This record gives sequence, structure tokens and C-alpha cells, in this order.
Amino acid sequence: MADKVIYAMYDDDDTTKDAAKLLVGKGVHVSEVYSPFPIHGLDPIIGVKHTRLGINAFIYGITGTMLAMIAIRYMMIVDWPMNIGGKPNFDFFHNIPSFVPILFEFTVLCAAHGMAFTYFLRNKTLPGMPARNPDPRTTDDRFVIELKLEDNHGFSAEELTALCKQTEIVEIEEKVIK
Amino acid sequence: MGFQVSDKVKKVMFGLIGLGIILLVLGLFTQKRYLFPTYVDAHNLTVMSNYEEGFEKADIDALKKEVEASLGEDYVVTITEATHDDHAHAEEGHDHEGGHAEEGEHAEEHAAHHGPTLLWHINIAAKGHGGHEGEAHSGGSKEDAHGTMPHAQAHGGGHHGADPAAEITAKFESGALAFKDGTYRRFWSNLLVNGFFFFGITIGAMFYLALHYATESGWGVVLLRVMEGIATAMPLGMLILAVVFIAATLGFNHIYPWMDSDIVASDTLIHNKSAYLNKTFFWIRILAYFGVFLFFMNWFRKTSRKEDEEGGVELHFKMYRRSAVFLVFFAVFSSTMAWDVVMSIDTHWFSTLFGWYSFAGIWLSGMITVMMFTLYMKGKGALEYVNENHIHDVAKWMFALSFLWSYLWFSQFMLIWYSNIPEEVQYFIYRFEDYRYLFLGMFAVNFILPMVFFMSRDTKRSWPYLIVFGLIIFVGHWFDVFCMIMPGTLFSEWEYGMLEIGMFMTFLGMFILLVFRGLSKSPLVQKNHPYLQESIHHEF
Repeated sequence: MADKVIYAMYDDDDTTKDAAKLLVGKGVHVSEVYSPFPIHGLDPIIGVKHTRLGINAFIYGITGTMLAMIAIRYMMIVDWPMNIGGKPNFDFFHNIPSFVPILFEFTVLCAAHGMAFTYFLRNKTLPGMPARNPDPRTTDDRFVIELKLEDNHGFSAEELTALCKQTEIVEIEEKVIK
Repeated sequence: MGFQVSDKVKKVMFGLIGLGIILLVLGLFTQKRYLFPTYVDAHNLTVMSNYEEGFEKADIDALKKEVEASLGEDYVVTITEATHDDHAHAEEGHDHEGGHAEEGEHAEEHAAHHGPTLLWHINIAAKGHGGHEGEAHSGGSKEDAHGTMPHAQAHGGGHHGADPAAEITAKFESGALAFKDGTYRRFWSNLLVNGFFFFGITIGAMFYLALHYATESGWGVVLLRVMEGIATAMPLGMLILAVVFIAATLGFNHIYPWMDSDIVASDTLIHNKSAYLNKTFFWIRILAYFGVFLFFMNWFRKTSRKEDEEGGVELHFKMYRRSAVFLVFFAVFSSTMAWDVVMSIDTHWFSTLFGWYSFAGIWLSGMITVMMFTLYMKGKGALEYVNENHIHDVAKWMFALSFLWSYLWFSQFMLIWYSNIPEEVQYFIYRFEDYRYLFLGMFAVNFILPMVFFMSRDTKRSWPYLIVFGLIIFVGHWFDVFCMIMPGTLFSEWEYGMLEIGMFMTFLGMFILLVFRGLSKSPLVQKNHPYLQESIHHEF
């Protein structure tokens, strides 16, 4: 079934926020907002669920610490113990202060890379993927509110357009997607 | 005008101060001078003390009687006094023989260790019942004493446990057997701890105030008056520190070894530092710190009040420029102040990280204090523009600064641990041997608690979490200052008792009252601050 999408474009983050507030207040479901930068305070208005990226970051970090511990223990204690600065590598525990920088760095490495890749995968933005923003100007200085007719059964396309025109839009566009 | 604190809170604070003073006085008159026991075997132990001024004969006799009676009727406790006279003579002889190059070092060791002024060998013999009595007494040698022990134990002193020497050792260690201490070493050291801690909080808040102006931040404008209020308590910490420094200069306490001309003359390492560490230059620096901090604190307060009346952006940009100047002073002074006030206690030791390490602690305690006062006043209905986002931001600072502090603590520790240079590593050896649980526990609390409990977004917005863990970390950082100072002034003879608790309570009460006094003097909102609207609508 073909679905209609309405794109309302704004030129300021504050007017975008006000418009989203007005639309949601009227009972419209805003499916997405495209913006060149994060708009503080927009998430609770359009009802975006809180991100779980932080929890993921924690898990990646812990994984990194564990991996680093296993690797260091194998390299420095089991496989090739050395005597560095009069501190022989007999066991892991007594040498732990000298391993902490590596544990820390590897934790950060895993957390950062894990987060970046999760973000890319979740947003389907791997290299070669088609761009999903409706207008390239949303990466520059424009803001777009996306309304899907499918999500708003109580409204017709004309009603939604009329509502959008009540806000401070600079452009409005209707598209049919398959 | 500003925030008027209720009389009830004032009464509670005066009560806190009163109770603190009572505990302080009680603690002062029940100080103990510990003796150090060394466990030899189940029936023998050695007890010694390094107290340089020696003890009164009457005190020694009284303590001896106490020790003899401490195990009850079942044991015969014999104390043999081993004077260290021979020991000392031998050492002196060596001094004369030793070359001149060695002399400085040797004299230093002599001054530091001096040999024990009191040395007791304590022998415990079991007084068994019936037939076993003779056996126990005849068993003079250690092996025999071991052998007869189970019998005596079974028939006689069953309630004492198998190891009477360990029992006496424990009594010496816990202070149940100890001399009364009439000196004020603990008093002065604690004065320094509290002075540095509360002065640190005020300059931490002052620093953040200046940082906020210098970076032209917008979010925290509604909190600036809280920081100003905390900074007004600065004279309290200055006064405490000044008392300690004056007493140290006049020789009433021996916190700073480099102030003692005998030690400077005999100690090469300290002598080499005397170009920086001497009384005149020390006082010049201290007066410079106090003067600069006081001047800027008053200037910022006055100017922001003037801005309230006049408006416009001219004063704002003046404060912007002036705060950058203050930050330059602060960058230098926060480090050198930590060296002068705290690091020079362990005069042989040095660490270039120390200034940042203590600064991280200062800043963090300042941010926790800002948080606590904000929550209290918000709870009382003041600070109407402060919303959960501001609180979240301050909580982020608490979280981040805990990590900064832990990072610097660890960096300092790891570098010294790894390089293992004697005069550096002694600092940590003192702390690991005599302050082990306090020192490591303090680090664990100040690092792991914020990491676990303030990592999540929800806990940073939850008042109960913030108050409970914030206060735990606050006290944790008091103990951080405690661990910076005590090992250099009291060595292993430290104690945490009524004196410490009482003094902390007294100064905490005074500090809170002073902050509330500062907060009552000016309105809580800087109504003409150019970024006020941004701060009111702060949201993320």
C-alpha cells in the first residue's frame, strides 16, 4: 500500500521544537526529525525512546577490560615473564599497577569502537548505503519534521498539511513512498 | 534578600558545634601514647616506644603494674627493662669515627630514630593449678613453656585462650595498655587537616565560579550565587591555617620539619631545599595566596551585586577578563599551596603531580558542597530556576572529578611504585604499612562508589542517591586530606577518635553557618547576567 509522507522544513531549531510541540499537542504522531545537530529537549516532545547505547558502551568496556586482562596475563605472566625494573612478573596481582594503563586504554578502545559500530549498524549507515535523509539541506542548516500518514490514522493528508502550515515552516513537501 | 535559613537549622548547627567542642575537649584529655609491641612467641613479647621526651617514672611504674595485672591471677607477668644506653653510646661512637661526608646522613637518621626510649621484654609464665604449678614455673626456657602450655591451659587459665602474649600484644595495639599523652600533636595535625579541607572547598567553589565566567558558560548562571556563598566561608579555613602556621613558626608544633633549624642544619636533603622552604619565603607565599583569593572573592561578589543594580554587559565582560586573570593565579597557587601546606610536611618527598592531585580533591569537594547546598535550598523552595538539568550537570561534575582525582592518585602512585626511588617510595610505604585500610579504603570509596552509582543518568537525577553517596564521598575526601597529612606528622601513632570527630563537627558546623550567612546577603538570582535566560531554559 502506498503511503504518503509529509516533510515540513524549518530554518531554526527553536521553531522546529515549537512546531513539534504544537503538532504533538494536536495529537499528531511525529515519526522523525532530521537535524544537522542534536536539539536539546526534542526527544521527550516527540516521544523518542531513551537510547540504550550507554548500556552497550558499558558492556563493551567491561569486555575490553576482560580481554586485556586475559591477554596481559598470558603475555606477561604465563608465556614470557620478564623482570622489569626489579619487579619480576611472577603473578598477575602484584604487578597489576603496571598493567592498569593498558587495561584502561583497551577498555576505552573497545567501548569507543563498539559504540561507533553499533551506532552505524543500528542506523544502517555503512559505507555505500543510500542516504536516508529526505533533503541534503538537513545536513547543513535546515530542519525537517517527518509525518507519516500511516501513523496518523485520525488525519487526512490535507489536515496534516494545514496543521503544518500553522507553524513557522519555510517549505512543505508531500511524497508518496511505496 | 537572599536565602534565609530557618532558626531550626541554625540551632542544629550550633548544637553540632557545641557537641563537637565537647568531644574535642574530651578527646584532647584522653589522648594515648601507644607502645609498640612485637610478638615473639606465646610467652614473650617486646614493647617499645620512640617518644623522644621520655616518660615520667610514676607513669612507667603505674603502667607496669597495669601490665602485670592485665592477665589476671593465672599468669605471672615479668617485665625486664632494657635501657637503650649501650645502644646510644655505640651509635655516638660510630658518629665520631664516621667521615664528614657521612655525618649529615647519619645525624639525620639519629634525629629520626634516636633508638627506643623505652624497651621492655615481657615474659609470661602460666601459673597452673595443683601439680602443674611447679611444672609451669620450672619451664623457664621457651620450648618448655610451649610444652607445658596446653596443660596450664586445660587446668588453669582456660578463659584466656591459648596465647597470653598475643592477648597482651592486642591490648597494647588497641591502646588498652598505653601512656596518657599530654601533648597537642594530634590537635595541631587535625587543625591542619580541617583547615586545608574547608579552605579547599571554598577555593574549589571560587575556582568554578571563575571558570564559569572565563568560559562564558551559560548553563550554571542560576547556581553562581550558591558558589559565591560557599566562597564567602573562605576566612574560616584561612584562620585555621593561619593559626597552625603561626604556631609552627613560633615552634609550638613540629608539623614542618624544615622550620626546625637543627634539622635543616643536619639534613642535607632539607638543607638543599631551604632556598624555597624557609620561614620568610613561606610567609610571603602564604600571604600572597590568602590575599589573592580573598581579593578576588570579594571583588566577584561586589561586582556581581553591582551588575544586579546596573545591568548591561560592561561589568560582565570585566568579570570575564578578571576571572581569566584569577585562573592564571589559581593555576600556579593551587599547586604551590599544596606543596607548601601539605607536601612540605614530608620534606624529603616530592611529587610533581601532587599539586594537581590535591587540586582535584579540592575541586571535587567544592562541587559536592555546591550540590548539597543546592539540593537543600531547592528542597526548601528557594532557587526556583534550578531544574533537574542543572542538578544533573553538577552531578556529572561530581562523577567526572571523581575520575580525575582517582586518575591522578593512581598516576602518582604508579610512577613512584614503578621507579622505586627510596626517598619517593617512602611516602607510600608509610601509608601502606601504618594506614593500610584507611588509605586503600579511602581510595576504594572515592573511586568505586562514584563509578558504580553515578554512572547512570537516572542516579544523577535522583536526590536520595546524590545526597547519600555525595556525603559519603565528601567524608571520603576528608579522609583523603587526613591521609595526606597524618603520616607525615603522627607517623604510625595516628588515631581516629573523639578528637578527630569533634573537630570535624565543630568546623563543619561553623562552615555551614558561614555559608548560609553568605547566601543570605545577596539575592539567589543574578537578574542582569547576560546568560540568565539561557540558564533558566537549560535543558538537554
